[in-house]
Amino acid sequence: MTREANGVSATQRVTAGADVAPAVPLVVRHVAKSYEVDGRLVPVIGDLSMTLDTGQVVSIVGPSGCGKTTLLNTLCGLLTPDSGRISWYGQEITGQPQNVGYMLQKDLLLPWRTALGNVMLGLEIRGVAAGEARDSSHAMLDQLGLHGFADHYPSTLSGGMRQRVALARTLVNEPAVLLLDEPFASLDFQNKLLIESDTAKLVRERGRSLLLITHDIEEAVSLADRVIVLSKRPTRVKAVYDIALGIERTDMMAARDSRDFSKYVRQIWADLDVVLQ
Amino acid sequence: MTVDAESGMDRATHVPAQKPTPPAIRRWRRLRSAAIVLMTQGAILAVLLGLWDHVTENNKQAAFMFGSPSAIAGFLGEMVRDGSLWRDTYVTGLETLLGFLVGNFVGTVIGLSLWYSRFVSRVVEPFVIALGSIPIIALAPIIIIWFGTGLISKVAMSTLSVVIVALVTSYKGAVGVDTDQINLMRTLGASKFQIFLKLVVPASLTDIFAGLKLTVGFALIGAIVGEFMSSSEGLGHAIFKAGSLYIIPKVFAALVATIALALLLTFVVGRIERLLMPWRRIH
Repeated sequence: MTREANGVSATQRVTAGADVAPAVPLVVRHVAKSYEVDGRLVPVIGDLSMTLDTGQVVSIVGPSGCGKTTLLNTLCGLLTPDSGRISWYGQEITGQPQNVGYMLQKDLLLPWRTALGNVMLGLEIRGVAAGEARDSSHAMLDQLGLHGFADHYPSTLSGGMRQRVALARTLVNEPAVLLLDEPFASLDFQNKLLIESDTAKLVRERGRSLLLITHDIEEAVSLADRVIVLSKRPTRVKAVYDIALGIERTDMMAARDSRDFSKYVRQIWADLDVVLQ
Repeated sequence: MTVDAESGMDRATHVPAQKPTPPAIRRWRRLRSAAIVLMTQGAILAVLLGLWDHVTENNKQAAFMFGSPSAIAGFLGEMVRDGSLWRDTYVTGLETLLGFLVGNFVGTVIGLSLWYSRFVSRVVEPFVIALGSIPIIALAPIIIIWFGTGLISKVAMSTLSVVIVALVTSYKGAVGVDTDQINLMRTLGASKFQIFLKLVVPASLTDIFAGLKLTVGFALIGAIVGEFMSSSEGLGHAIFKAGSLYIIPKVFAALVATIALALLLTFVVGRIERLLMPWRRIH
């Protein structure tokens, strides 16, 4: 367990190495973003640097309202940062990065499409042949335990099932990198553990990279190889933890049972410096 | 007591095991409640007609001023026999349908395409509001000059009554699409046209159909007003002629046909809505 006294220097050390090897999926250097509210400039992201390596799972936790969602929208090109650099696979791009899947707390399923139709959406947009899209979408639904629900409309599915469909819609495009923004926050505990375990399997088995934004510390520690703790606004990196639980990282219950789990949780909780208001 | 406790336990531990109501019984229950509603509606109608008939039966002045159900029925019978009921209903129905279709098509296409450009929609907005605030009746004299006294002028009146409403409702539907959903489409790599086709158009269907139902009445008003101005046939013509001759029961008889036409069109729109939006049926 390596607790960095100064998280910023730790990330900088890592990103410095990343600059030499351009295959690193995501490198963020000194990104800042402000919003204009009533003519005043409100800084949301102060100065943020981080790296996501190939096959790595990184969780970002932070106090409520610390601009996590702004960060995610900036990373996927929906917002432009005021300063700093974001490079995907060594390239700075404008607009949406290729090969990146994106999923939010809201499942955003289209109510007029069946579960299958929703999963096929991305393939359809990319112009994949209908038969092929249908087959791989069916396979993805089956993998996420939704066999037999392909023809159901979202309105007839439970919250957990809808979020599984949303996950299938993201994964069926075979993204190399997943950006998830509180994807399981609205689910009950059992459903959350199950879908977290499935996500971990599907990410780790295929060597995908995952960036998970969450305010659930236990979720962050049980899923991730590295947890980045953000400060209050204007956001910067407060601390970085490399999580070593010494177990298979696809079983969320086992992760919670492991020896060091609660130590990480306690330390991150202390870092968040949550006070009753 | 023990039975109650046991069944309570049973329900708590085996919630999904609770026997679902068989579909036949559910269908029967649905039919029964529909029949009760229909019977109540029929009873209200019968009471109102009975009162009307009773008041006008022994009072010649009231019968002249308000007609009476039996006199209306008599005129309806006569109009069926001389074929004018079918002819007038057909003529007005055709004008209404054409105006309804053209107005909704044009309005919806423009309304949805305004989603494409924030600039164009902002430029167009005051013009749309200005056009929408013109009472269509005020345009009738010009329309007769432009399009003559035949079918086309009524269709034009009907179209104009519909088009702005269709434009506004469909535009409202298009701009009301969830930004997160648009962002999701963008992250899936969708082009603006794909977002329009796969998200904006289907998401606007609910508002478009609300507009369609609303505009059935507007299309009919347009056609009837057009017939009032100048015509030789149609339900509006029949109403206008009977009214000028103080044959009030005949006015009501033509009105009954007008109402029937409106109900028929609304029913058809509702059916098409159910057909086009199957996901709305399951709840």
